[in-house]
Amino acid sequence: MSKSRGNSVTTHRLIAWLLWYGTWVASAIIVVGMTLEGLGYGAGTALLGLNGYDLVKAGVAMFILLPIARVMVMLIIFLYERDYAYTLIATLVLAIIATGMVMEL
Amino acid sequence: MEPHTVLWLFLAAFGASALGGVLGMASGIFIVPILTLLFGVDIHVAVGASIVSVIACSCGSAAPFLKERLTNVRLAIVLETATTLGALTGVLLIGIVPTSLLYGLFAVILVLSAQQMLARRRERAGVITAPSKSWATTLRLHSAYPDRALGRDVAYEVGHVPLGLLLMYGAGLVSALLGVGSGVLKIPAMDSALRLPIKISTATSNFMIGVTASASAGAYFVRGDIDIDIAGPIVLGSVLGALAGAHLLMGIPAEKLRIFFVVVLLLLAVQMLASAFGIHVS
Repeated sequence: MSKSRGNSVTTHRLIAWLLWYGTWVASAIIVVGMTLEGLGYGAGTALLGLNGYDLVKAGVAMFILLPIARVMVMLIIFLYERDYAYTLIATLVLAIIATGMVMEL
Repeated sequence: MEPHTVLWLFLAAFGASALGGVLGMASGIFIVPILTLLFGVDIHVAVGASIVSVIACSCGSAAPFLKERLTNVRLAIVLETATTLGALTGVLLIGIVPTSLLYGLFAVILVLSAQQMLARRRERAGVITAPSKSWATTLRLHSAYPDRALGRDVAYEVGHVPLGLLLMYGAGLVSALLGVGSGVLKIPAMDSALRLPIKISTATSNFMIGVTASASAGAYFVRGDIDIDIAGPIVLGSVLGALAGAHLLMGIPAEKLRIFFVVVLLLLAVQMLASAFGIHVS
């Protein structure tokens, strides 16, 4: 049985790494933001130029971007493997997601 | 927002997610009922916070599935064209759909989840052989996964892709409207239309949920519909609860918990249905 490319071990490991560490970094940003808010550095007031509300917002935004980054990584891998049909499919997914965001701007 | 409200939001999300994790169930389905029924949050705000927690749980739990090569990433990206398009439709509809209809639809999804939890999924007997001209063959979707018990790779073929795409569009739409992962719709689609082995469909469905939810969450975020004060503790509680549920609660008898969840899901369905008709029981 021929092994389909794109389902390779490297692809899986790379995406697993991205999602796992991305989850922890985004969670940590939210924890720091909520702690600052708890200490009274919410919106408007800042500690060392950081305010809690903005940090929590950044953490939430990072979570939303994480799966999108995962599709981008897949797109690059498909392109690198010269798998143009799948490069196109990944581009289509990104285009659909971008449409939703652009419509709301 | 009051610090103790933040703490309660965190604990509620943590508890729902940890208990759900024991049964391999996404907590997303509990977040909206918890927020609307217990905290009196507007359903649109609840959907916004819930959808972000759905992304977080999908990302946080993806790694082990990927490392075991249970996730079919090619199949996922193909189906994601349909789920994201469904999500986009949901984003356009959510402002138009009456709130009572959202509550009603949520009640239906809760009942379906309860039913799915009772009827356990069974592996399909027999191996299907896809015709050489099928979409799955053209798109080279057939793959193999390592089976620990057998100690070798087991090849599997992917079934009816067009029907799978259609069902995934519906799943994406429901996900965006209700702020749920809609695994409840994705998993039957993968089991019966695509005829995947259970492990593969669980892993691939979980993997797709993140992107599907990003498509709607991204639009809601840009629109300013995501209440950061509520989303923060909910997201954090969900992620940590899911991790804790997967690791710490193995000792809880799953069978009793299953019955407990069925009862909770049905009770929530009744409450959501009551809200649909404007009756608030508290």
